[in-house]
Amino acid sequence: MRIILRIFLVPFLLWSLVSRAEDMIKIGVILSMTGGTAAFGEVTWTGMRIGRSIRPNVLGKEVELILVDDKSDKIESANAAQRLIQKEKVIGILGDVASSNSLAIAPIAEENHIPHISPASTNPIVTLNRKYVFRACFIDPFQGEVMAKFAYNDLGAKKAAVLMDIGQDYSVGLSNAFQKTFTKLGGKVISRVNYLSGDQDFTAQLTAIKETNPDVIAIPGYYTEIALIAKQARELGIKTTLISGDGAEAPELTEIGGKAVEGLYYTTHFDEKAISTPLGKKYVEIFRKKYNHAPDALGALGADAYLIMLDAIERAGSTDPEKIRDEIEKTKDFQGVTGVIFIDSNHNAVKNVVIRQVKGKESVYVSSVNP
Amino acid sequence: MVVKRERDRESSSGLQPRIERARDGTPTILVLFRTCKFVLIGGLVIAMKRENLVKITATFLSLLALLGFLKWTNSYASPYIVQILNLTAIYIILSTSYNLVNGVTGQFSLGPNAFMAIGAYASALLTMTPAEKEITFIIEPIISPLDKIALTFLPSLLIAGVVTALFAFLISFPVFRVRGDYLAIVTLGFGEIVRVFATNATSITNGSLGLKGIKQLTSLWWSWSWAIFTVFCLVGLVQSSYGRAMKAIREDETAAQAMGINTFRYKMLAFVISAFFQGIGGGLLAHLLTTIDPKLFTFLFTFNLLIIIVAGGLGSMTGSVIGAVIFAWGFEFLRWFEEPHQIGGVFIPEIPGMRMVIFSLLLILIMLFFRRGITGRWEFSWDWVFNKLGKKIRVTN
Repeated sequence: MRIILRIFLVPFLLWSLVSRAEDMIKIGVILSMTGGTAAFGEVTWTGMRIGRSIRPNVLGKEVELILVDDKSDKIESANAAQRLIQKEKVIGILGDVASSNSLAIAPIAEENHIPHISPASTNPIVTLNRKYVFRACFIDPFQGEVMAKFAYNDLGAKKAAVLMDIGQDYSVGLSNAFQKTFTKLGGKVISRVNYLSGDQDFTAQLTAIKETNPDVIAIPGYYTEIALIAKQARELGIKTTLISGDGAEAPELTEIGGKAVEGLYYTTHFDEKAISTPLGKKYVEIFRKKYNHAPDALGALGADAYLIMLDAIERAGSTDPEKIRDEIEKTKDFQGVTGVIFIDSNHNAVKNVVIRQVKGKESVYVSSVNP
Repeated sequence: MVVKRERDRESSSGLQPRIERARDGTPTILVLFRTCKFVLIGGLVIAMKRENLVKITATFLSLLALLGFLKWTNSYASPYIVQILNLTAIYIILSTSYNLVNGVTGQFSLGPNAFMAIGAYASALLTMTPAEKEITFIIEPIISPLDKIALTFLPSLLIAGVVTALFAFLISFPVFRVRGDYLAIVTLGFGEIVRVFATNATSITNGSLGLKGIKQLTSLWWSWSWAIFTVFCLVGLVQSSYGRAMKAIREDETAAQAMGINTFRYKMLAFVISAFFQGIGGGLLAHLLTTIDPKLFTFLFTFNLLIIIVAGGLGSMTGSVIGAVIFAWGFEFLRWFEEPHQIGGVFIPEIPGMRMVIFSLLLILIMLFFRRGITGRWEFSWDWVFNKLGKKIRVTN
């Protein structure tokens, strides 16, 4: 027992010795640095730090980003939010990527009147009816709409099949929006089948789809399943074009899928070639210099969440969380990293969607769709 | 016979306090229970033994101290501390009730995540107002009777507990057809079934989107009253003849059966009571976090509880309480290791994930130096405290 007591005591004693710089603007960051979605947290944090290196000062003071890990866990996310607000006295919170964790952070930010921007939580109910919660990305329905428009207008598809992952809120939201828009445009969703994340065998679903002979197959899921579905579809002789959402964007897609995913279209938030803003150019330049590979979407969204917050602080001219909130809500025509950003009345970011296509091991830029 | 053997073992291993008056080792809680009965029946407080009176007073005073502490925290401490204290109480409820099945009855169940999920969803769906349900259920509207119901906190928590207990009662028939490792696998299976059901039954649970906008009703009073109530009930149960039958099953199921204990009945009883409290715990958790979704109730949650009860001391309620407190506070204390520091002239940048490493090391240390958890099977009792105090006084004299 004594050993344990000592182990707990040491940090306390050290804590009292350590002093911190006081005259800084403190912004809290809650990300999953460990646990199931640690990879997302890692890249987002990289992006935020680049964002900070582009713009380290506001109102003549330096910005301090205080990172707190939430272990990819809802309970820990809530603890982290309380800690940042009560103990660190932050004036704003950025995070998390996974919607389920952001949902745990949001009510605490709301209650304490602290503005909260999630970089990449796409679940619509995160910001729904909340005054202090925003996001730097578009929501699933919007992405689904763009997928449907692209399939109908650019690919000329009239009959579509949808493979939905019912275990992921993300996939359900995307599929519903895709179907709604596609039907509205005049197309027809001739088959809609379900799977569950973690499934390995999709031949039953794919055989059912093959019989209906669609022009396009929409798979709004995550990369692992998309790659496996693509592989099994090609083995069954299905040559139909595949289309999916930003869940496809990961190096693993081509590693698992190989040649089968060649030609797959997906919508996403960001592409180097689609950059139109000076901030975006600067971001890519720094990212390239530091990491020597193409920048990813999550990092760019992380940087955008940070920069939107800073822009609002600047316009508010004070560090009063209430005033910052008002200014975030008024954000429009903001020249961010991922494009020109508007914040709509539901606190979602409205901006252009990028469409990319898998070519070999890389993805190439196809087009941008404006809202 | 078996029961007697159990008792003998305890006293021979020195767990029984040595003073003569505590020859039955009765713990405070049961004493209080019995006392209450006596008081209610005839008001025979004066007739009671002096020693018991002292113990009751000690229990009463320590409860009063706890309540005083909570009152002070409620008004002066930051919401961050309150949040962790609430979690501590919830972990105490969950771990002590889990300990009843795993530690006391010796049935290796891996299903508490299922019970928590049922409790959380049931209570949340009952307290949410129809308007809130309407805006949350955006994929499919909620099914008919649930869309109109809105209850207050206590009835919905109780209903959640009862529903969970009912579920445990139903699954106990298939579950207790097997023993040991197989039991673990079957309960694990039921845990997954509940989670998958919550993911797919969109018109009841809002599927993978989860529920949002649950009112934050869990306060220190709610969570700690339930925690105290749970601990009192469970310790009372463990010390009763039911509890001794459960321990007999843990030591040797076949022997217990041969001695005439209806093992199925006692295992089911432990399972159902445990499920009731886990349902309550789940409900309190839902109303603390204000949002739940199926991903919260994965097997990892069960695993955390397992860590608490094994590190605390399998079979000891005291151990479960200590384990819960360490688990709830430990992770927050250890955040210090992840923050950037300026110590002297050395700057240490932040290291995400460092506290997990240290926490794991602590667990390894606990398991190395306290092979049977922090407390083993030792239980707190006033006799022990008085004994210790008595010794101290003697030494100083």
